Amino acid sequence: MKKIMCMFLAVLMILSLAACGSEEQKAAAEEGFKPALDTAESCEINVAGGYDNFEALETEFDRFNEYYPDVKLVFTKVDDYNNMIGTVLNGNDAPDIYVSNSWMYGRDQYKSSIDHAENLADPDLGIDLDCIRSNIILNTNDGTLPMVPVFSNTYGMLVNNDLFEKEGLSVPSTYQELVEVCDAFREKGYKNPIMGFTNEETTSLYTLTIYPFFCETVADDAEAVKKLNALDPSAGEYMRPSLEKIEQFMNDCRVDTDACAEIEDNYEAVIMRFFEGDVPMMTCSGDTVSGTAKRESRSEAFIADPFEYTFVPVPMSDDGAYFLDMPNLQFSVNKESPKLDMVNEFMRFLITSRELNEMAQNKGLMSPTKDLSFDNMYAAFGEIPESRILSPEEIGLTDDAVIQMRQAVYKVGTGAMTIDEAVAAYGTFEQ
Amino acid sequence: MRKTFVIIVNVIIMAAIVIFVVLYSGYESRDSYNRQIKHFEKTTVTMERVTENYLEGEQRICDVWAKYINSEDMTLNEAIEYIRASHVLENNSTHLISLDTLTGLSTRPKQGTSDDYAVSYERVDLLDDVSWIDDIGESINITRAFTNPMNGEQSLAFCNRVTLRDPESKSSGDAVLLRVIPISELEQKWVFPQEEFANAELSMIDADGYYILKGYSFKNSDFFEFYKSYNPTDPASSKALFDRITSSTGSVSMLNSHGQECILAFTPVAATAGWTLLGFVPAEDLKADTGNWLLPGVISAGLLILFLLDLFYMLYLNRRLQVAVTDAESANKAKTDFLSTMSHDIRTPMNAIIGLTSIAEKNLGDVDSTRESLRKIGLAGNHLLTLINDILDISKVESGKLKLSPLTFSIVETVENLVNISQPMIKEKKIDFSFHIDNMDKEYLYTDQLRLNQICINILSNAIKYTEPGGRVSVEMREEESNVPGCVRLVYTVADTGIGMSPEFMETMYQPFSRQTDSRVNSIQGTGLGLAITKQMVDLMGGTIECQSEQGKGTSFTVTLDIPVADRQLEEIRLDSIDALIVDDDEIFLQTTADELESLGAGVEQARSGKEALEMIRRRHESGRDYNIVILDWKMPDMDGLETIRRIRTEVDMDNPILLTSAYDWTDIEDLAKEAGANGFVTKPIFRSTLYNKINELLGTKTRSVEPEDDYSDLNGMHILIAEDIDVNWEILSGMLSVFGITSDRAENGRVCVDKVRNAAEGSYELIFMDVQMPEMNGLDATRAIRESDNSWAASIPIIAVTADAFSENVAECMDAGMNGHIAKPIDMKLVIKEIRRIRERSEQK
Repeated sequence: MKKIMCMFLAVLMILSLAACGSEEQKAAAEEGFKPALDTAESCEINVAGGYDNFEALETEFDRFNEYYPDVKLVFTKVDDYNNMIGTVLNGNDAPDIYVSNSWMYGRDQYKSSIDHAENLADPDLGIDLDCIRSNIILNTNDGTLPMVPVFSNTYGMLVNNDLFEKEGLSVPSTYQELVEVCDAFREKGYKNPIMGFTNEETTSLYTLTIYPFFCETVADDAEAVKKLNALDPSAGEYMRPSLEKIEQFMNDCRVDTDACAEIEDNYEAVIMRFFEGDVPMMTCSGDTVSGTAKRESRSEAFIADPFEYTFVPVPMSDDGAYFLDMPNLQFSVNKESPKLDMVNEFMRFLITSRELNEMAQNKGLMSPTKDLSFDNMYAAFGEIPESRILSPEEIGLTDDAVIQMRQAVYKVGTGAMTIDEAVAAYGTFEQ
Repeated sequence: MRKTFVIIVNVIIMAAIVIFVVLYSGYESRDSYNRQIKHFEKTTVTMERVTENYLEGEQRICDVWAKYINSEDMTLNEAIEYIRASHVLENNSTHLISLDTLTGLSTRPKQGTSDDYAVSYERVDLLDDVSWIDDIGESINITRAFTNPMNGEQSLAFCNRVTLRDPESKSSGDAVLLRVIPISELEQKWVFPQEEFANAELSMIDADGYYILKGYSFKNSDFFEFYKSYNPTDPASSKALFDRITSSTGSVSMLNSHGQECILAFTPVAATAGWTLLGFVPAEDLKADTGNWLLPGVISAGLLILFLLDLFYMLYLNRRLQVAVTDAESANKAKTDFLSTMSHDIRTPMNAIIGLTSIAEKNLGDVDSTRESLRKIGLAGNHLLTLINDILDISKVESGKLKLSPLTFSIVETVENLVNISQPMIKEKKIDFSFHIDNMDKEYLYTDQLRLNQICINILSNAIKYTEPGGRVSVEMREEESNVPGCVRLVYTVADTGIGMSPEFMETMYQPFSRQTDSRVNSIQGTGLGLAITKQMVDLMGGTIECQSEQGKGTSFTVTLDIPVADRQLEEIRLDSIDALIVDDDEIFLQTTADELESLGAGVEQARSGKEALEMIRRRHESGRDYNIVILDWKMPDMDGLETIRRIRTEVDMDNPILLTSAYDWTDIEDLAKEAGANGFVTKPIFRSTLYNKINELLGTKTRSVEPEDDYSDLNGMHILIAEDIDVNWEILSGMLSVFGITSDRAENGRVCVDKVRNAAEGSYELIFMDVQMPEMNGLDATRAIRESDNSWAASIPIIAVTADAFSENVAECMDAGMNGHIAKPIDMKLVIKEIRRIRERSEQK
């Protein structure tokens, strides 16, 4: 017995000493991604974009460093990005990965950007493009893929779920319900059941609400799209249903344009107004939603009385809402990068459901992956049937055509033009 | 319970030491860490100075250009030409931008062109508000990092406001001079001393937290946002922290984007508008962890090893103590048993001595009865003496004081003594006894004869003791070649058919006080010390003792000793050419004796029975070639030696000498043998010298000195001085000597002895028997005094110690003092006579 006790004490001491030793910090083993290169490789990868901050991407750098600790990844903000990226790509500081947009296709100004891009659809790269919703992957005419979306965007409205719950109302899923909810809130003393930015047409309330509706009206009409893209004045008629709808919406929901005019911009001001807590519905884009989390701490009203909120589509149709699915930020790989293997390894790491969802959640933007249920903020869009998901890129509307529509809607919505005037003015609007 | 307590106390002490070391180490570590943080702060301040010097240098260049341009009333083209001419650095460029249009010219052409110098800052959010640009020479005006519109490189620019003349309107307009430096160039220069802070990084922020220069680990475009993203804080705390960072020098701990603790050192950049230099280093880099953990680690391991060593040593000691206690208990029990046995063993002969003495006193008139009583008293006394000697020996052995006293001796005497001593018991128990010698070339050896005798006697007497009546004991002694130079290997084997020993007993048989017990031999008297003494003595003499035994079948002991050969050896001895017949049923004896005789030059024939011998003698006699001598064994089957002699003498009528041999005591048949016709007797084993002497004696040839046996006439008339303080001892010795016709004087102590010798006439005493322990002057001092005497007779008179100090060192002491011999008490008169004769013989030789 005594011997056993001695041995026990000795073992206890040894274990105690061992416990004093430093624990080895091992990189968390990630399932799915398996490094294909030498993990001891050392290099620097530069990602260029127009964001002042890209902490969500920097988090991904850190996660990638768990596999490749000696790979130094840096995000660099390029001033006047859209104009400068071509110069930057040809200069001494050419990035290895850079932000691209689908509207750069076919424009001479951005030819350099497209020309520098590696074909990410090359199966040898092993990038899992299947994890991304197919309607936001935009191949060029020759089948190459110069860019791949890492975020997506859509239009909708922030909903104060606590107010809905408090007033016993449900989030509307049809236009009729939307009108009814607005009435109900108004009856309960809410001056502005629905609001949005209206001071200028930079993703204003009008565009946010009607653009999905407009896309639906021309989605299956190639002739209309063709005319619209050609800025044919006669194509203005294709806008009429949308213009009528915005007028109807403004009337039915009795949107207080004066109150909306107090919202100074379509980003921070929208968010801060929503955080006041008295607006059940606030139209905005996914971009704006991405700024909400950080601004919670800046809103004294929200700090004092926090509430649950989500982002849902605006139901402008009696049949229900449309999900306007658009790529937001896209990444291209500079095919002239001196460390192309490691750059592609990073892309292989990043373009997975796990990492894209993680990055989207960190950024507050909508993930480009097929699964939206992971993020409660955007989960409502994941419930929309495929038949009601619309992609402007797939429809084929050019940027210029969309600008015409947006200006027309803005003019009608603000009362600056009648519907007829706006229809007639198609092709003449300027941004 | 006590052991557990001690262990727990030990563990607590060790734990306390380890805790102390860990705490102290932790304190030292924190102290060192804090010093490192302070050092990092100082290094950051130093970097700020370096940065400031650099910035001031760059700004000064810009200031000089701006002053010159302003002083010369230049146009845009003139100014740019001037700067282009002044510009020497390849990677830098300078832009002159009109604040009206935010456009202007660059000293270097646009990327991809050679002559397009136009530059626009319209889309670069940098010059919309230039209020931050102070007047020339007032401060450092540096932009944030921006993309150079001319080549797309991330750059910084040092700025000054200048006034340019419009050549068309002749009016002046405000413009900004930007000295544009690529950040990549700055990054190469702007690093921490690598050897000190390998992973440290620098950043510079403006008053709002936006990076002017950004280190790799700094995230976001705004340091404060970066801090808030990865460090839990509340608005009030973060504001206080940011105010502190932008207004003072110091350091804080914060988490980086990996969640690792880092140290942020901050210091304002003097001569700038609210800029702050930030140093950022992982906290681990400032901690001297390895060294700090090494110390408690080593101490803990050392303590643990010490603890385990102590623990196991304690357990070992405990086990040893337990064994010692068991041994002590066992020894104590053995001694108790021994004392009990001794009590019995001593009382038995004492009882015999006292009882028989009483009987003798009562029967003084009955001579036979008195003689028998005295004989038995002698036997009991001898046994008692053996007991006492053994006890004293083992006492010596156990105290480690047993030492050898080598001297030259004859192995023949040893063997004869051995046979003689054992004869009474052999005879009594009617044991079939044989003693063979083989190849005994060297008769004189040099070792402690007393101890050799003890070894031989102990083993042989044990064999006889533990052999039942009618059993067999055989002894073999032979010489072999030794590996030790100057030595012979003496192999002594005693085999018996006695009770044997159990394996358990054999494991402890060499331990003192152990005796094999057996119901058949419970009457055996012994001390249980014999084997222990024997083993010790064999070890002391560098020999080996081996034993093979089986219970009920017998035992065999073999002692092997390498014994130095004495310088003195027999001279070459040869017999005259004779024919000899050896008759014995013992083949070994026949062979060894034949070898010895042949080596002496005799012709030898052998007969294995009396009948065969008779026939051979008859044939020889009839052929007129009688054997010169017949050597005949006494005990033979069919026809014994006596009958054979009788028939030789009667039937063959051979007159030549017949020598009767036996390993047994032949005193009882001596008369019968002589009557039958035997001419002499010799005891087995027969050595070469014995054969030589005996044959020569029988054949009438001159022999070497042969000791007279029962003839003591040579001693008659001797006068001896006996130094003895005890009256009874004096009486015994003088009385015994008087039996042999030796007269003696007494000296009561050493002093008297010395005086008597000095005063005596030359030749008064032939020798002195000297007791050692005496009052006034002991025997040793007396001997020395006599040896130092001026009287040459006195100085050379033989002195023999007669003392109860019977150990070998006592003998050596006596010899060193100058004595010539040593006789141990109680006195054996045979030894006394033998010693007297030896002394006399030496005196005669001189």
